[in-house]
Amino acid sequence: MDRRTLLKGSVAAAGLAALPSVPAQAQSAPDKLRFGYAITQSGPLGPGAESTVVSQYKLWHKRVNDAGGITLKKFNKKVPVDMIGYDDQGKPDELIKLTQRLIEQDKVDMLLSPYATHMNLASASLSTKTGYPVIYTTATTTKSYNLSKTHKNAFWQIVQPVEATTPLADYLARLKKEGKIKGTVGVVHPTVEYGVEMHEAFVNAAKKAGLNVVVTKTYPFGASDLQPVVREVMGANPDAFVCMSYPPDTFMLTEQAKIVGFNPQFMYVAIGGVFPSYQSKFGKNAEGILTYGGQDESVPGYAEYDKAHRAMFNRPSEAGAVSVYAALESTQQAIESVGSIDRPKIRDALASMTFKTLWGEYKYVDQRCSSPWAVGQWQNGKMVGVAPADKKGAKPIVFPKPKWS
Amino acid sequence: MVLFEVFINGIILGGMYGLIALGLNLQYGVARILNLSYGEFFVGGAFIAFFAIMLWQVNPLLSLFVSMPLAFALSWLIYQVLMVPLIRRAPDQDALDADVVLVTFGLFFVFQGLALVYWSGDLRGYSFLSSPIHVLGATVAMNRLLAFVGACVIAVVLFLVLRYTRFGAALRAITIDPVAAGLVGIDVRKYSALAFATGGALAAAAGMLVSTFVSFSATTGVGYTLKALIVVIMAGVGRVTGTLAAGLLLGVVESLGGYLIDPALTIAINFALFMLILLLRPTGLFTRA
Repeated sequence: MDRRTLLKGSVAAAGLAALPSVPAQAQSAPDKLRFGYAITQSGPLGPGAESTVVSQYKLWHKRVNDAGGITLKKFNKKVPVDMIGYDDQGKPDELIKLTQRLIEQDKVDMLLSPYATHMNLASASLSTKTGYPVIYTTATTTKSYNLSKTHKNAFWQIVQPVEATTPLADYLARLKKEGKIKGTVGVVHPTVEYGVEMHEAFVNAAKKAGLNVVVTKTYPFGASDLQPVVREVMGANPDAFVCMSYPPDTFMLTEQAKIVGFNPQFMYVAIGGVFPSYQSKFGKNAEGILTYGGQDESVPGYAEYDKAHRAMFNRPSEAGAVSVYAALESTQQAIESVGSIDRPKIRDALASMTFKTLWGEYKYVDQRCSSPWAVGQWQNGKMVGVAPADKKGAKPIVFPKPKWS
Repeated sequence: MVLFEVFINGIILGGMYGLIALGLNLQYGVARILNLSYGEFFVGGAFIAFFAIMLWQVNPLLSLFVSMPLAFALSWLIYQVLMVPLIRRAPDQDALDADVVLVTFGLFFVFQGLALVYWSGDLRGYSFLSSPIHVLGATVAMNRLLAFVGACVIAVVLFLVLRYTRFGAALRAITIDPVAAGLVGIDVRKYSALAFATGGALAAAAGMLVSTFVSFSATTGVGYTLKALIVVIMAGVGRVTGTLAAGLLLGVVESLGGYLIDPALTIAINFALFMLILLLRPTGLFTRA
């Protein structure tokens, strides 16, 4: 670029900036509100993104339009929603390119979250730069604790490692105090970032709570046989067996604990434990197993949601998907309270309002969901939320876990 | 005692590795087709077993009567329709390998895409024979033992067929030199198609047996193709009984290494063994020099 074009460019830019903005009153209501997302639809993460996230975008899109759209009180009108989605192929650079395309070419009004922690983090930088508030629905990382100050437009929906693991440690400490257990814990995790961070957070919480972590084992993601790992934990005979696991090893650890007859009084598996397929595989043996996430099916509106979900996808929803749907409800409620697409105001509404959703009632404190479901448990064949214990709809934890049958 | 159990479980795990590789070695060793969509046949067998038990409450073993003939027929068709034209026009084996890899890679995408559309990407699993059994004092899962027994039965049957039947002699001749086999009157195309189809059926059988203890989804096939390929290359292309032996070696080394050093290293140990064999015996453990 030579000096002359540079000069021209800056003159043009200055000219643009000097143009008076169109007065708001002159605007008429938009015909459509455009929501855009770039998400992984091909590659290994594609199926998870589809069943947990994209399915909810489709379902919410249909339900909100069936109801006439989003109410913009400034125009006293309901405006239907348009959805634009792209496949980022699981590549962060592709995600960034497509997100820019959504903003610059498709001129979307709002952006929705991509899938998986590292993609959420990549998108958070861009949404902050471009002024789009986004609720990130599939990121669990200790990094999120430091992002609120620098990433003003990023909101974090699901439970983060410290809040996910502290209730486990606190509950075990209470059992120890009541003399029901000795307070020994065995922890295993795969060598992926999620497993490592959850493990660290849990071990810190356990130490603070006065528990004794007697054995820790790691294994590679996708291992074919975890019986030796289970054996080593069993050998230390801990009261609690805590697996910071990922599917498919969530399934394998459960099955192999049963095979070798390892009957801990307290058992936790992380990702995948809430899946309906977990319950259908293990049936009665899933009873009493604790897991990451959770939900409360008795919240108002859940029955209608469940019915619409089954009609659209021919299967029940799962707790992770409900949290994504709730993020869409929060976004809609924030837009409706502002009454127009004014993104800085929508951002402030998200940061200050209280939301009533299918995932319960919450605010975003420091941009993090104030009471996401942290721990769930299979009770009588249903996934119920057990922590945070003070969240509305939380059930008491069933202890001890029944023996394998 | 635990060490002995780890050893026994290593053998069982190795049987599974051998099981998933047997079919691929027939396809690659005899028919000379490196089938990158092999894992999709494996996943197909797993899904048919899953539907048998979950939808129709049928013993998943019976699903083999459906999945194996289906996989056999589909593989036979793929060979006759897609592979034969490639074989005809290829000037040599290297050129053929390149074409075959591209076409079967394409098939992999087609099959996986169809599976995703019709069966969704959800993780599937079911419980079948998931109870312990004691073998010489070691605790073993019955479903894993079943897969091990399945691997042994398939390997022994293949061995007997290859060694003692006219059909087997023809396959062995093709393995050694397809051109010479044709010159002595063996119908290379017909026998290669049968070997390729049998390989597909064995993939479906392996998928059924493994699905009793490993959960799977429409996208897990490619992982099994890679695992099977490692075992085939370790054993030596075309060495059928060697495939089982190589699988067993891999399983035992993985289990013992994981137990004695660190379970986090099991995959690293696997590949270290693989590299060692490639360095010392580049044509495979059981290939005659």
